[in-house]
Amino acid sequence: MVSVGTVVWLSSELMFFAGLFAMYFTLRSTSSELWAMETEKLNVPFALINTVILVSSSFSCQFGVFAAERLQPRRTGGLFAFSRWGMVEWFLLTFLMGAIFVSVQAYEYAELVAEGVALSSNAFGSAFYITTGFHGIHVIGGLIAFLFIIGRAFIARQFGHFEATSAIVTSYYWHFVDVVWIGLFIIIYFLQ
Amino acid sequence: MRIEKNLFLIGVPIFVPIALIYGFLTEWSEWVGLLGILLVGGLAGMIGFYLAFTGKRVGERPEDRLDAEIHEGSGEQGHFSPWSWWPLVLGLSAATGFLGMAIGFWILYMGLGLAVIALVGWVFEYSRGDHAH
Repeated sequence: MVSVGTVVWLSSELMFFAGLFAMYFTLRSTSSELWAMETEKLNVPFALINTVILVSSSFSCQFGVFAAERLQPRRTGGLFAFSRWGMVEWFLLTFLMGAIFVSVQAYEYAELVAEGVALSSNAFGSAFYITTGFHGIHVIGGLIAFLFIIGRAFIARQFGHFEATSAIVTSYYWHFVDVVWIGLFIIIYFLQ
Repeated sequence: MRIEKNLFLIGVPIFVPIALIYGFLTEWSEWVGLLGILLVGGLAGMIGFYLAFTGKRVGERPEDRLDAEIHEGSGEQGHFSPWSWWPLVLGLSAATGFLGMAIGFWILYMGLGLAVIALVGWVFEYSRGDHAH
């Protein structure tokens, strides 16, 4: 029930990002010279590393889901016995990678602003910051959600399907945000 | 869940060819519509795929049979909150936040604080107090 509802909501989120893509492509087609000039300022290798971090966080999130489906909240072995990690450890690792992604993006924003690409400077700036910015807000929302899920795992004496279901739907959200970033990365950094 | 699944999955073979026709007619120079229509196919596909997945997981339900009786569908449907004050608190915090944007930024911070309280209250409502498990 909860999971079907989450997927229906995520499909509407897909339309939200479709609107952002529409804005980006409209502005790009009307000012292609500006695009050729401004996209040169993008640090593509830097963003690629950031993309790899976000994609890896999706994998660690999925391992957390496998642990939640085993109804195992905490690790049963040593700290580096990854195969015995519980949901909390995997989700903390996911949180860490997501937090690195947002921080690196903030650093990238600062560099771009220093080079004269700001939200209000021109059409490219607006399109760039609104698309990646809304994605960044989604990532931050996901990070908060992970903290809540971890909190639920800590507060529950008996980790059951109630906790596992919320962990699974949070992972759906995280994978969705990840896939949207891959689309954004291809369009903004790769196709330019 | 065959009917539900097909109802949504039919969108994929409709919207993907339409997107391709659109792309062909605009000589692949207009990407807003191309990507937009493709993503509508994605919307239909996401829900359809997940309903198919859920249908496989839960098996055949009484709703899927013509000769089913009402009582066959009885029993626990899922976990539903009978009542809760937290959505109201979260709504009030959002209202406070928007009020802050309209009147003065200092009100926004009060809305943020209230939102934190509301979210924590809502998320942990069935994990603490009488519902601790």
